[in-house]
Amino acid sequence: MSDTPTPVIVLKDLRKRFGLGDTEHFAIDGIDLTIEKGEFIAIMGPSGCGKTTLMNILGLLDSAIEGEYELDGKNVASLSQRRQAMIRSRQIGFIFQSFNLISRLSVIENVALPLTYKGVPKLQRLKKASEMLANFHLQEREYYMPRQLSGGQTQRVAIARALVNEPSIILADEPTGNLDSRASHIIMEELSDLHHKGNTIIMVTHNPRLTTYASRVITMLDGKIDTDTNVLKEETAAETKKPLGKKKKKSKE
Amino acid sequence: MLGITIGVASITAILALGIGASTIVNTQVEALGGTTAVVRPGKTDISGIDQLAQIPTQQQFSASTLTLNDVDTISKMEGIAGVAPLMVLPGAVKGTNPAPAGTPIIATSPSLKEVNNLSVRDGEFLSDDLIVSTVVVGPQLAIDTFGTEQAIGKTLMLKGSPFTVVGILSRTNTPINFNGVDFDSSAFITTQSGALLNQSIPQIQQINIQVSSKDSLESTLKNVTDGISKNHLGQADFSVLSGKEISQPANRLFTAIIAITVAIASISLLVGGVGIMNSMLVGVAERTREIGIRRALGASSRDVVAQFLIESLALSIGGGIAGFITGYGLAYAASIFLPFDPGFSWLIVGIAAAMSISVGMLFGLYPAIRAAHKDPISALRQYD
Repeated sequence: MSDTPTPVIVLKDLRKRFGLGDTEHFAIDGIDLTIEKGEFIAIMGPSGCGKTTLMNILGLLDSAIEGEYELDGKNVASLSQRRQAMIRSRQIGFIFQSFNLISRLSVIENVALPLTYKGVPKLQRLKKASEMLANFHLQEREYYMPRQLSGGQTQRVAIARALVNEPSIILADEPTGNLDSRASHIIMEELSDLHHKGNTIIMVTHNPRLTTYASRVITMLDGKIDTDTNVLKEETAAETKKPLGKKKKKSKE
Repeated sequence: MLGITIGVASITAILALGIGASTIVNTQVEALGGTTAVVRPGKTDISGIDQLAQIPTQQQFSASTLTLNDVDTISKMEGIAGVAPLMVLPGAVKGTNPAPAGTPIIATSPSLKEVNNLSVRDGEFLSDDLIVSTVVVGPQLAIDTFGTEQAIGKTLMLKGSPFTVVGILSRTNTPINFNGVDFDSSAFITTQSGALLNQSIPQIQQINIQVSSKDSLESTLKNVTDGISKNHLGQADFSVLSGKEISQPANRLFTAIIAITVAIASISLLVGGVGIMNSMLVGVAERTREIGIRRALGASSRDVVAQFLIESLALSIGGGIAGFITGYGLAYAASIFLPFDPGFSWLIVGIAAAMSISVGMLFGLYPAIRAAHKDPISALRQYD
């Protein structure tokens, strides 16, 4: 991994504190992590281990942190609020568990929304959003309202929205958490495609089966990294899928 | 929004009517050939804000500073075509029937006819040859007191003294004019009789001057100012007005009405503004999650501020437009009962626009800033 010149994300002794004094609690308690370009990372762990907090920090939504976070070689702490918003707009795409589409806006307006903050003129915004929706086979649903779509479709819209700015990093917080297994599979295939196109994907999941798509699996426990497994996909893609899948089944039984 | 509508409507209506009223006076002044000037007692401050701020002052109730001496001085000057003092005396007027209370008795000189371009329908106007106790009446007054316009030779009681009607004026139909009285329902007597009725103290409210040519207006007025100034031992207790200055609402009541309307309008604007702020705050609270999403998608706090400011501006400008239309509607409705039509001016549009925009900005800013300062993480966590 270290042969790649600039890692996308470098975390050094990252800590996130909640509360003060007696109630002090570290949601993230000293994480060192280096993420290279083009990795597909699955982060797993029990509830409350700080996965979502970590995602928020990586997505520059939470800047009250201790330790160092370098994004593309730049220390995030030195960036202004405005600059951070710009990075969110151009480099980071968010996918949420609860989809988070704006219910007042139609599908195409939702997808075009991130382009607004990049200063793209309206006609181009809609054109680009339409193209993006076509990639996800949702073109005929363009003018539907979010509530008229199924869960899987909604999440595909959300992914289209996350991708419309062509971000280099995609942060997915339990993207399949609200979906059935079939829809989950479709979403994961989409993410996998993105990964093959060279995007860096960081995904939080509860479902061990989904880690088969990832190139690296990190498990967290109590705000610390518990295990960090590099799954070298090129070599063992076929094998890893099965054993992990089996493991999952066993644990279920 | 309703508050803004009411506020803008009332201001629009009153301004439209105000412009209509001064237009009517302006046209009268224009019709007199632009050669008319008036001298009024007291210092008239013509700055608009003072006009608004002033309530009737003691000036109205104190003795006029203008004297018949001033009238003489002016009439002897070069370039003066006519001088007519106006002494408006309050008092009972009674013919066969009593005239309505407040009917003005105007003591003036014969040249008022020329200066104000009055025409006599029947009989003759006042002249120096006539005996003291003669009166010329406006057509409306003739009807009010005698039940007919044919009132020549009849006796009109002014403040208890008998006067013989020698002339009836033609209808002017200008109840609002720069003289401050409605000639159609006035009784005209000579200055001598006026002084007699008023315990020999002539109270001149206004001196109307007509200069012989428009070009010499300015220089003549300067002479007039100097002349009266000399009579008054250099005290500036009078003002000489010409052209547009005359059409400044002569009636203090009008300024009082404007002042009250402005006060009401500003209260309703304030209420409307608070209403907008309230609904914006509710909107911000309801859409916390949306704000979170937008932030996550790359909106800076400035973008969020802009979004909510634009929304509150839309509300207030919408209210403003509705108010502007309602205001003109009200003005036209009111003009049915008034002798003039509301006027239109871009100034009114500008004032209405400026008011609604500033209210929108002012009261939208706080909710917008609150929206922008929401923590994106907790905003995202909120479910709607």
